[in-house]
Amino acid sequence: MHHHLHHHLPAPNLDATMTIRRYLLSTPIFLFIYILQEAFITQLRLPLGGVSLLLIATLIWATLSTPEIGALTGFGAGILMDLSQSSPGPMGHWTLVLILAGYGVAFLGYGDDNIRSNPINIVLITTVGVVASQFVFLILGFLLGQELGSIAHVAFLLAGSAFWTAIVSPLVLKILAFVHANVFGTRSLI
Amino acid sequence: MRYGGDNRGRLLIIVLIVTSLFLITLDLRGVSVINGVRTGTQTALTPVQKFGSWALTPLRNFASDVTHLGRTRNQIEKLKVENQKLRNTLLNRTVADAQLKQLKSVLNLAGAGGYKVINAKVISQGPTTSFTQTITIDAGTSSGIRSNMTVISGYGLVGVVKVAYPDSSLVQLASDPAFRIGARIAKSEQIGILSGQGSRSGVLQLLDNTTTVKVGDVLLARGSESGRPFVPGVPIGEVTSVDNSPGAVAQTAEVRFYANFSTLGVVAVVIANPESDPRDSLVPPKPVPTPLPTVTIYASPSPSPSTSTEP
Repeated sequence: MHHHLHHHLPAPNLDATMTIRRYLLSTPIFLFIYILQEAFITQLRLPLGGVSLLLIATLIWATLSTPEIGALTGFGAGILMDLSQSSPGPMGHWTLVLILAGYGVAFLGYGDDNIRSNPINIVLITTVGVVASQFVFLILGFLLGQELGSIAHVAFLLAGSAFWTAIVSPLVLKILAFVHANVFGTRSLI
Repeated sequence: MRYGGDNRGRLLIIVLIVTSLFLITLDLRGVSVINGVRTGTQTALTPVQKFGSWALTPLRNFASDVTHLGRTRNQIEKLKVENQKLRNTLLNRTVADAQLKQLKSVLNLAGAGGYKVINAKVISQGPTTSFTQTITIDAGTSSGIRSNMTVISGYGLVGVVKVAYPDSSLVQLASDPAFRIGARIAKSEQIGILSGQGSRSGVLQLLDNTTTVKVGDVLLARGSESGRPFVPGVPIGEVTSVDNSPGAVAQTAEVRFYANFSTLGVVAVVIANPESDPRDSLVPPKPVPTPLPTVTIYASPSPSPSTSTEP
């Protein structure tokens, strides 16, 4: 069977085209989330460092996708986050982190419907993914010569981020799962 | 089924990672295109962010109030107290400014006349229940003030020291009905006696009935021997109306005092006669009228279409 599939050359190309087209369909969704984040959520000045809706949406989206789409989603979202005024690092900093994060969370959930159909697991993966992404971002920033601040402050912000992600991701999970299913033509498991 | 990945997938990941590293390198090397993209994004986002800020301000304020409820209440109380203090300070400052202005003008007048003066603050206005017009000032004999000394303000004569106490003095205002002062009209040198009427206007009675007095004439103090009770040259007021009754024994005129007795804050007591009579040098300058702009409109009839005779 495996051998047989490799002899049908047009099939992977067609599949790739479909994937890219569906990936591009998600662009306006992430642009909308980015504007929502930059124009409204950052204005709320929430305590404990606030919440990054774009980061949460990216990781939820990646969890529901294949690793390739997860990495591509991370790439697009990372570019947007690098363009953000509040991003301290160079262009590509968040991009690199989110490619890895998107790929990583998608890899964890891909092919296992027990994980992808359970909202608690997705929330857990997303929360851990957000904190891990921020941690990797910090480490990468440190390697690039940025100031980290005190460890206590970093720990406080990471804890705050975990708190907000755990609060917000269940609220947006259903919507994102619905949109994701419509974009990729699959049946939502959530 | 666990995802094992394939060559295409791995290649994609590698390409993406290399792209991001490429972007980092470009940015760290200061390539202007990257900065341009960021600046452009911010420029495009700024109006949306401004709108977001405007739209969320009530919500943000509410959230801030809720999260800082105790602190906000304390802060409000603290600000109220501070506000009251600032109001008092401002009020005091306003009073001080007004007094400073009066002090400046009184010193100007005293300097121009060559009078040696002691400045004093008005600490009370005498009761009018006894139909007298007096004020109490915060300087007395300990400052060198004696009775029968001239009291002036920045505008001119205020009155005369009636009684001097160690640290305060009672001043009889020029508006007091019992007040009398020898006055002369500036330039014409006509003399008369001005008496208070209980208001800001006094009555001048000329000694020589053959002379004439006009509205707008300025009255100055004639001065007494050794400057007490009155030093010469102090502006008193201006003639506002003249009574030219043919049967009158003496010509009289109504005079409006320069000093406004109801707003006195700082006055000066002249404690020594000037070395020379200032004569008319203290006559206040006449106000210069501000010319009003006039607009002239020339109206010319416009041709009516109905009366047109053109073919």
